[in-house]
Amino acid sequence: MAYDDEHLPNRSVKVDESSRVGDPPGPSAPAGRAAGSPPLLEITGMSKWFPGNLALDDVSLSVGAGEILALVGQNGSGKSTLIKVLAGFHDADGGDISVTLSDGEVYEGAKARPHLHFIHQDLGLVPTLSMIENLDLDRKSSWRDLLPSRTSDEVAAAQELLREFGTMFDVRAPIASLAPAERTIVAIVRAITGWTDPNSVLVLDEPTSSLNRTEVDRLFRAVRAVAARGAAIIFVSHRLDEVMDLADRVVVLRDGRKVADVERGGFDHDDLVRMIAGRELANFQHEAHAQDEAVPLIEIRGLRGHTVEDLTVGLRAGEVVGLGGLLGSGRDDVARLIYGGLPREQGEILIEGRVVTPKGPREAIAAGMGLVPADRAADGLVMTMTVAENLVLPHMSRLRTPAGNIKVSREKAETAKWIASTELRPQRAAAVVRLLSGGNQQKVVLAKWLRAEPKLLLLEEPTQGVDIGAKTMIYELIASAAQSGAAVLVSSSDAKELVQICDRVLVFRDGVVAASLSGAQLTEANIIQQSLRVFTPALDKGEADAG
Amino acid sequence: MPVDEPTHAATEVDEVPVERVEHVDQDPFEAEGEPSAARRVLSALSAGNISAIYVFVLLVVIFSIWVPDTFLTTETFKSLLDQQALPALVALALVVPLAAGVFDLSIGAAVGLGAILIAWLIQIKGVALVPALAISVVGAGLVGAVNGVLVTRMKIDSFIATLGTASIIAAMTFWISDQQILGLPSNLESIAATKLFGFTLPVYYVLVVTIVMWYVLERTPVGRRVYATGGNVDAARLSGVSTRTVVFVSFVICSTLAGIVGVLITARLGTGDPTVGPPYLLPAFTAAFLGATQFRGGRFNVWGTVLAVYVLAVGVKGLQLGGAPIWIPDLFNGTALILAVALAQYQRGATGSSHVNRLIARFKRQPDPEPTEV
Repeated sequence: MAYDDEHLPNRSVKVDESSRVGDPPGPSAPAGRAAGSPPLLEITGMSKWFPGNLALDDVSLSVGAGEILALVGQNGSGKSTLIKVLAGFHDADGGDISVTLSDGEVYEGAKARPHLHFIHQDLGLVPTLSMIENLDLDRKSSWRDLLPSRTSDEVAAAQELLREFGTMFDVRAPIASLAPAERTIVAIVRAITGWTDPNSVLVLDEPTSSLNRTEVDRLFRAVRAVAARGAAIIFVSHRLDEVMDLADRVVVLRDGRKVADVERGGFDHDDLVRMIAGRELANFQHEAHAQDEAVPLIEIRGLRGHTVEDLTVGLRAGEVVGLGGLLGSGRDDVARLIYGGLPREQGEILIEGRVVTPKGPREAIAAGMGLVPADRAADGLVMTMTVAENLVLPHMSRLRTPAGNIKVSREKAETAKWIASTELRPQRAAAVVRLLSGGNQQKVVLAKWLRAEPKLLLLEEPTQGVDIGAKTMIYELIASAAQSGAAVLVSSSDAKELVQICDRVLVFRDGVVAASLSGAQLTEANIIQQSLRVFTPALDKGEADAG
Repeated sequence: MPVDEPTHAATEVDEVPVERVEHVDQDPFEAEGEPSAARRVLSALSAGNISAIYVFVLLVVIFSIWVPDTFLTTETFKSLLDQQALPALVALALVVPLAAGVFDLSIGAAVGLGAILIAWLIQIKGVALVPALAISVVGAGLVGAVNGVLVTRMKIDSFIATLGTASIIAAMTFWISDQQILGLPSNLESIAATKLFGFTLPVYYVLVVTIVMWYVLERTPVGRRVYATGGNVDAARLSGVSTRTVVFVSFVICSTLAGIVGVLITARLGTGDPTVGPPYLLPAFTAAFLGATQFRGGRFNVWGTVLAVYVLAVGVKGLQLGGAPIWIPDLFNGTALILAVALAQYQRGATGSSHVNRLIARFKRQPDPEPTEV
């Protein structure tokens, strides 16, 4: 068992207490963090081979009790593989895992697993069961299982747990009917309840990808509370702000190797980006391409349906308009209402002064629209098909020969062009989409619609779960679509993203536009402030939808 | 405020291309690049891709040693081609809805309906041959239309909907005639029994249907849309594919083809029999699922299905010639169906989730064919 001394966390855990607003009171350094004692979780020399690919290359890291370690890296850097090895989905091809409890007892390899708790990206909940039923799944079986469940007690207990998170929803409703944020909270509640020993390891894999800022804060309070009880936390995230906010220490993986292990205070945002990407990222600079016209290219009049109460807006050619606001504020339904993917109660859509108001996606596409949906796996891509097949799915008839078959040479030429211009990896038209990383999958969805040269490009959460390298590329692609004369409508929960790429942002609150921000007004703070001004928790809104 | 990274990126610009090249070299996928010709040939010949061909060879070798006198004759193989032409057509018909992501369990019943309709129309109702043929085939095709409406409009899961129609159509078949209809004219017989270059006509029908279906499914935008619907119905719909139409038409094509097979069965037997249809169901599923493991890495496909039909037939034939009892075909087909799906699960690791798996996984999450049409 050899490890580099620099990886020992106990030497210099610097915790800037002043920045940790909302921390629960309590000892800042629990017993396990006393100098000299071994770290709670220790991974040494972990390697993992996949056919033709060394996914993990001799990675060693350790987390002390009460410490929050952030694990960052691009998609495909080995983060997920490391988590999967820890969880026992994959067997490592070398390396050890050991857990040392506060009483000095050491558990190695598979015996360490009971002390590791995971919240995976897909949350691991049974969507058809309710929260209390999901919580019940983890309980140890006993003779009591034969007795009827004491539902009222369970409901009360579950509600109590939710209250700790400062939220409330119907704990008897199926998970599938909850908002994504609520599901995440259920998963976290499930992971941290029933710990007999506070000296456990909690691994959170991208827990915040569907949460907005308020909910993220709630989650972080909970995570810090768990750490304060003496748990070791491993936190995987693409959102560097969150990492800066939460982590005591950051481990950066790149191409399966650990490239950095830095303490809080020893890095800033730019350092992180450099370490993750292995290069300085060209900072994305938005340029306005909006053209001055008397008649806007796109007009949306009195749009109503689902969570949207009323939206009237005009978009000029080359303009990138953002949609901000909380989950359920209406922001997240606009794109589909315009596209005809959700039923519209009212409203009309005009392109170049002509009423189109599509009844469904087919008409929307014919009218010159394209939609990049938030959930690329469920709505954006046919995962079993190849990059080329996905790219040409809309407007396939353009590739048809008189004999009715697809002109292969033309398909190849068109797809090759987009594969090159999006810097897709691998650069193969025949690669099955499922095997691509999240960022590259997103490039395929985007390229699919850019190929169609839409007049109106609708995007939902365009960079969700996407690594920072792909993010910049996606921003560039959006800008190039605007430059070539399309109107772009972007819905995002990431206020910084909206500020970075939009000319104008419409902030939604309770189904209507609460503010239209542009120019100097367009700041991250303003978007957040406008979306929260009259405090309407997103969760309550989501519950109303579910009911 | 909006941008938290100061613009000192410019100093590093020169490094960008260098770093990118280096990164690409380390990329797990890119390291493989576009596979070389030799690699493509090798992977095309791999056991995972064309296992059925190896099994076929193995079966031929085994039975050639076991029962050389009866198995190793031209007659055996000729009769195999003839006998399996109709099951092959049913399996091909089934590929269409399966590729579109829906089950058609009523296919056997549609065969039975076609078989009894033609006999009843000609013998009992005295309809002339050509209109009788047309009515029988269209009648069977209507089964598909009903399935299509149930699945795309009434949003009933295809498994349940077609299970229901299968039972209803089977009942209708017996209602039309609960006994055999004998003494059919010889001109009907000629459409199935006429020989050309030593083979009966259905062998050529299989060839024609195979080529047409292969062309449409693999080479045209229509086929792409069918596979996209089967692969991810939501993504296909949002990409402008009319998934309802795809599913509806796939049911109609399937039942129409099944009806044609029914007519051919009656023509071949010279007798209308209400019980002939349902036994075609299981072998068709077996062949389609086994076929999906061949050639296209988990995608339901035409050539794999035809190959699977004949591999299964050789196995059954050999066992029968070796003296196996009459229940052997059912045992063989059932085992092969389970093995085929197990093989598809195994392939998942190699090529990602296959279409077969998606179809099976639909029981976990029921996708609505067109959930939010206005």
